[in-house]
Amino acid sequence: MKIKRLLRSIIGGEKRQAFIIPLLAIFCSLVVSALLLLSMGRNPFVAFQSILAGAGVLAKPNYAGGRGMVTDIMMTLAALTPMIFASLAVTVAFKGGLFNIGISGQMLFSGFLATILVGYSDLPSYVAIPLVLIVGAVAGALVGGLIGILKSKFNINEVVSSIMLNYIIMYVISFFILTRYVDSITRNSSAINASARLVFQNFMIGPYRAVLPVFIILAIGAAIAIKFFLDRTRMGFDLRTVGLNTQAARYLGISPQLNIMFAMTFSGALAGIAGVMHYLGYNDMIPPGSLSSIGFDAIAVALLGNLNPIGTIFAAALITVISQGTTYMSSVLDIQREIAQVITGLILLFSACGAFLRQLLSRTGERTE
Amino acid sequence: MENIIEVKNITKAFPGIIANNDISLEIRRGEIYALLGENGAGKSTLMNILFGLYKPDRGDIILRGERVIISSPAHAASMSIGMVHQHFRLVEDFSIAENIVLGIEPKHRFLGILPYVGMTSVNRKIAQLSRDLGLDVDPEMKVSDAGVSIRQRVEILKMLYRNAEILIFDEPTAMLAPQEIAYLLKILKNLKEQGKTIILITHKLSEVKEIADRCGILNRGRLIGVYDVASTSASDMAAYMVGRELDDELPPPPQDFGDVVLDVSNMSVAQRGLKCVDDVSFSVRAGEVFAIAGVDGNGQKELADALAGLIDVSGGSIMLSGQDMTRASVRQRIEAGLSYVPEDRHGIGLILDFPLRHNLALRRYYVSPFCVNGVFKESVFDDFSTGLIENFDIRCGQGGHTVTRSMSGGNQQKAIVAREIELASKLMIFVQPTRGLDIGATRAIHKHIMRQREAGHAIFLISMELDEIRVLADTIGVIYDGRINRIAPARELSTEEIGEYMMGVKV
Repeated sequence: MKIKRLLRSIIGGEKRQAFIIPLLAIFCSLVVSALLLLSMGRNPFVAFQSILAGAGVLAKPNYAGGRGMVTDIMMTLAALTPMIFASLAVTVAFKGGLFNIGISGQMLFSGFLATILVGYSDLPSYVAIPLVLIVGAVAGALVGGLIGILKSKFNINEVVSSIMLNYIIMYVISFFILTRYVDSITRNSSAINASARLVFQNFMIGPYRAVLPVFIILAIGAAIAIKFFLDRTRMGFDLRTVGLNTQAARYLGISPQLNIMFAMTFSGALAGIAGVMHYLGYNDMIPPGSLSSIGFDAIAVALLGNLNPIGTIFAAALITVISQGTTYMSSVLDIQREIAQVITGLILLFSACGAFLRQLLSRTGERTE
Repeated sequence: MENIIEVKNITKAFPGIIANNDISLEIRRGEIYALLGENGAGKSTLMNILFGLYKPDRGDIILRGERVIISSPAHAASMSIGMVHQHFRLVEDFSIAENIVLGIEPKHRFLGILPYVGMTSVNRKIAQLSRDLGLDVDPEMKVSDAGVSIRQRVEILKMLYRNAEILIFDEPTAMLAPQEIAYLLKILKNLKEQGKTIILITHKLSEVKEIADRCGILNRGRLIGVYDVASTSASDMAAYMVGRELDDELPPPPQDFGDVVLDVSNMSVAQRGLKCVDDVSFSVRAGEVFAIAGVDGNGQKELADALAGLIDVSGGSIMLSGQDMTRASVRQRIEAGLSYVPEDRHGIGLILDFPLRHNLALRRYYVSPFCVNGVFKESVFDDFSTGLIENFDIRCGQGGHTVTRSMSGGNQQKAIVAREIELASKLMIFVQPTRGLDIGATRAIHKHIMRQREAGHAIFLISMELDEIRVLADTIGVIYDGRINRIAPARELSTEEIGEYMMGVKV
């Protein structure tokens, strides 16, 4: 009991918990990572610094010709865009009481459809780019909606159906890429035309060459819009009500079935946009036979962001910075790239503990009041 | 005959209620002793004390002539006391035999090293036990495949496997179908013949009459008396159970009733193939409090849920102010003039993780002025909740922004009542509106209900507490086994008569 009281005094009330617990999780994971790095004989501060430098947050000591800090940060933002959308997809599903673990599959499906429908066409940018976004959102919504229908009509657990769909989508699309769209040199799908690409290439910012990830603004806008949607609109309220208490929703006359379908469709649409941002933005091709890890990392990002769309932006930024900074860190310190994944893993582990901590505290709180 | 267990002057208080008040009982070896009483009379508390789940505030337990302190269920089991709870405690994915030996598994070592649980001998032993008592249980069956009746027998075997001599059954027939009840009663008789002592908690008089030797009757935490079952009539027992002093409570002052608001005819409801509301007809008029009296689990919850549109009826019709609502959706009924304070306030009445201001507006949030073009007007929510919090005296730390989960039960219930009354519906349904609340909150809610009656709303009240019905009801319908067997003005029904219908003595 004493320990709990102490924790309470550190962490504070409901409002403060939202900030303190994720920060605590990050802090703990950094400490443990530092210990890990020390045990390998590396300086943890150099490691963290080189991660930040690799992601373009800090300056590197020297750059290749035509490259600068801005080059790296723009690349990080390009990677951040799909991560935010994918995390928003997780958040929306979670708020509706659903666990969308099929985001990677939905991303691949939308990325593939947008690639073959728009990516290989000769349409000018101002037609192609909106079309890519629309195709992406619709394709993702179709897969998400299917999972939602299976759940609400036939009570098929969404986790099972989305994992199965992940595999089906991955292998079917792999088949089509390898038989029809393969690039004979890279063994990936052929690169899309630059006019359809969502991240503008080869921009000169001052003396430096960089990409221009304009849709990061759309991602941030989407997070704000979803925050508003969940908190301030009737549909968002219905969705959260169903997510928190299906029985109460029925008592109030809110249809759990409709809202489950809606939440999954919405989540799928966001995952679809994440898909085109990844496969037709950050990348310009699709590697066959694999799923992007973004869809899975997004689950953890959403949790770290407290299932709050705004918090998601920061959590996604943190995780993206770490994964983007890895290559540089491993070359500076001469350690394996995987160490960065260990750090990411630790952050996620501790943020999961944060949820446990919060529950523990709310339960003791109830008893004392 | 010697007393196997005695309790002397046991008192146990919970905040706001004395559950057991100076109770003394003597239970003889080899008898079936029934413990009768209404909901909340203190039966379960007393048995939980015997089973080591609660510690008494005062008083002694004397087991086989020695004073003992029972500190935990495991301790109780070691002193050969066993209990079958109303809600079974079984592991779904385990076989019946595995459930039975859980905690006392026979441990063997393969080749003297690798530990394992030897189930073969266990299965054989349980099959033997089961055959001896006519329990008809397959030890290797998975519990998830077993029905309610079999699960109960597993619980019985669990006690017997631990060599229990004193067997406590907490309302064992509550979840069983009639033929399963007959079977269980036969098993209980077998157990008695084998020399076991049985304590049976129940509020079904017919079962007491059929198998018990003696019965102790509890009312509001006090022991009213101990009676020899063979020489006491069922109607006397019913009268002792509900208690006589209740007649002092004054029924509401007479007032003229208006038009019929709710008209239910021949309504039936079936759940999982069992008929729980059976051909029920009644009507409620404006300004009338129509109360359903009955023991818990006789179809009250289903009756209310069917009226509110949460579950489908299997027959009959529901008319609300002349409109047919039999197949209407929940929202159609609400909008046609229905309020519903449900029994399960945490499960369905509130979204505990929402702030109070949202919970108070749950019936109105989707229409103007709360919501314009699909977007909430936050200031309307604030003003609305502030008004209700004041009018209904809801105590909450941070006003409308208090997280509902952090509020006390009484204030949570006030919030639901406030929300439903504010609708000013023609028909207001209240199910167990004061269950678990302290006296202050109970009075406040009663006052609100009476005010709505005076304002000319039709009130449909379901309560398991007779005194609540006594102070509120104009008309009483008594439900037993899904049927309303008697409907009469409250003044014409004596408490004894209600008790007899409630217990199924009269039908």
